[in-house]
Amino acid sequence: MLRLILGRLAAAWITMLVIAVVVFVGVEVMPGDACTAHLGRDAVREDVLASCRDRMGLDEPAVTRFLAWGGGVLQGDLGQSMKRERPIVDIVLPRLRNTLILAGAAALAGVPLAILLGFLCGLWRERGFDIGASTLALIAMTMPEFVVAALLILIFSIWLGWSTGVVTAAYNAPALTLLFATPLPAITLALVYIAHILRMVRSSVIETMGADFVLMARMKGVPERRIVLRHLLPNAILPSISLIGLTLAWLLSGVVIVESVFNYPGIGRQAVNAVGDRDLPLVQAIALLFGLFYVLTTLVSDLVAMALNPRLRTQRG
Amino acid sequence: MTFAQQFLSATALLALSVSPALAEKVFLRANDLSMGGAESLDPLSPNRFYEVNDLIYSRLVRQDASGQPSPELATSWTPNADATEWVLTLQPGVTFHDGSAFDAADVAYSLGRIEDPALESPVAAVLGFIDRVEVVDPLTVKIVLEAPHAGLPLLLLDYRVRMIPEGAGPTIEDAPIGTGPFKVDSFDAEGSTRLVANEAYWEGRPKLDAIQFTAIPDSEARSQAMLAGQLDASSLTRDQVALYDGNPGFTVQSYPSGGWFGIVFRTDTAPFDNPKVRKALRIAVNREEMMTLMVGAGNGVVGCDTPVRFDDPFRANLDCPQDIEGAKALLAEAGYPDGIDIVLSTSDLEPGMVRFAEVYQAQVAPAGIRVTLKLEPADGYWDDVWMQAPALVTSWGERPADQILNEAWRTGSSWNESYYANAIYDQTLDQARSTLDLEAARALYVKAQEILFQESGTFIPYQENGLQVLSARVRGIDPVGEDYIRWHLVDLVE
Repeated sequence: MLRLILGRLAAAWITMLVIAVVVFVGVEVMPGDACTAHLGRDAVREDVLASCRDRMGLDEPAVTRFLAWGGGVLQGDLGQSMKRERPIVDIVLPRLRNTLILAGAAALAGVPLAILLGFLCGLWRERGFDIGASTLALIAMTMPEFVVAALLILIFSIWLGWSTGVVTAAYNAPALTLLFATPLPAITLALVYIAHILRMVRSSVIETMGADFVLMARMKGVPERRIVLRHLLPNAILPSISLIGLTLAWLLSGVVIVESVFNYPGIGRQAVNAVGDRDLPLVQAIALLFGLFYVLTTLVSDLVAMALNPRLRTQRG
Repeated sequence: MTFAQQFLSATALLALSVSPALAEKVFLRANDLSMGGAESLDPLSPNRFYEVNDLIYSRLVRQDASGQPSPELATSWTPNADATEWVLTLQPGVTFHDGSAFDAADVAYSLGRIEDPALESPVAAVLGFIDRVEVVDPLTVKIVLEAPHAGLPLLLLDYRVRMIPEGAGPTIEDAPIGTGPFKVDSFDAEGSTRLVANEAYWEGRPKLDAIQFTAIPDSEARSQAMLAGQLDASSLTRDQVALYDGNPGFTVQSYPSGGWFGIVFRTDTAPFDNPKVRKALRIAVNREEMMTLMVGAGNGVVGCDTPVRFDDPFRANLDCPQDIEGAKALLAEAGYPDGIDIVLSTSDLEPGMVRFAEVYQAQVAPAGIRVTLKLEPADGYWDDVWMQAPALVTSWGERPADQILNEAWRTGSSWNESYYANAIYDQTLDQARSTLDLEAARALYVKAQEILFQESGTFIPYQENGLQVLSARVRGIDPVGEDYIRWHLVDLVE
């Protein structure tokens, strides 16, 4: 058991290392460097370019720079933003908090709802409720976030006037202000993942219903309610847990779009701005953070699944 | 008092309390974070927060409706005989936001800062020829130049040359003090910035009570905010205009901006080192059609390879219809009787840059000019392609005539992107700078632009308009660029 957990942790570390190398090399192979990207036309002024390269240590060989950067990251120092002339940590942390508030709100409301709906769909397979909910889920899954976002703004803030359109709160506003600024970004995010999780839980329920142990319980005459709650529910949901984790991590890509459309001051919008400003050190740091978030979510959901499901704890060849 | 009377007076009170006259008039704007959150309230900073600085600081002169210098903090400007010294008289009775009086020492200080190397101000490239500023008396300054310059007042129109109190430089970013119609109440570039009316503004109290800036970097999000009534004004991209079509809640305005895309042919590289080839490449285009395809009819002004804005008094208004036969003849004379093959670099660095090259490619094909497009990555375009590739698409913002003509074509200038070198052209510009008579100066600037049309390596078909949208409650903003708006006269109605 312990070996298994340690193995997972080691794998997570190696994944992060690979991500760091890929991010660094990705920036490295792009035409120009951080200074030419930042300076634009001013890069033709040799003295300005030289002083920038000197300031950013770009004259060092790539390996030296990678080690310096990686070493800094390990100590919580993500480097210095070019455009903003501030430590990247100061820029990124408040925005990361805001994104977690948004994703957290969407997950807390969305995940239980998705599990419940998926469970009911599986239970009442091919009946009216299932057909209706599954169809809506399919539509929600296939519509891109930016379409959903624009539709929600059009309907709820422009036509009906029930909600403000975009977030005008600042990045350092109190958590509650951001949470209640507008429900639309959280709903947009939740809609997509409710659909994904619903479909996974539904098929898992259907599969479990056909399993031998459910048949056995039925033959023993166990009351239906007890079958559903004691046998069906835990067995159907367990396999979904790691998938739910993956879905949450995958949603980060959606955060970038949703935050931009709603002007939500989170890490996703910051990523877009950093790319637009050609602030390469900041882009690099945010890419690494996205990677970290992905790895952590997967790790946690794997460990939770292991803790809940004894079958995963044994090592099979 | 009867019940009816009580009721009436109560409703009257109620009506009064919600009457728009009493409501605070707050104009809502967006900060597009073009400086990435490094926006600075120092007007000379490379990261200047222009929209705010325009409201809190004043210039010595400002544009009148035709773009000419008109009095702001300076009431008159007089050069000496050879235009090496200018005497400016200042507006009396002007106070800064902190109550102190504005005088000549503040002007000397504000202009003196421009060349401070620690600031790395881009304005140094524009006004670096100022040698010193002398205080003659509290309301008179003398600006002494290193070389004659008849166009000094035009260059003082620069949107960054703004007056701050003497000695305030080191603190101006954190404690912004100006003489403008609004003063800073709170400032956070990446959050919201609030400016309040300057009760003591020398031209009268602004009609607005406050102006609020909210950071909205994404142009789609700005559009959504505008549509949802969270903004009173916003810039627009051309594709977004349709969102407001026929909607009575908004007014879309198209105004001359002086910005342009162009194609640069390096004059030091074959085959573009032959002026005949360069001219053929420029006259083979139907400019009117090109502009209509790119930005739509009426959203720009066609020109003949001049970078100067259409309403600038120094602009050369030449005629340059499409001339396929002429282009063919020039190419034949240059030794290309069967047409010519060229490679044109472009990039999706700015929206429209690729389309611009494609339209050019199609337009010149009948003249036997076979263009191969080379799509370059947006990253590194200004470093690896610009001023390197033999032919490429370029993009420039609005600049005064004297500035752009010197910046982009004078021999050896650091942004001379076509490596143009012509002693006569340089001399013409020098002469123009020392010519005080407006008509004579105009003749010289026009001559310089005619030289460019005859033989330069830069194709400039038109200048594009800017676009902005206003909410229906806005009054007092004409279809003009930011520089021209008189913000103390802007109002909101319910």
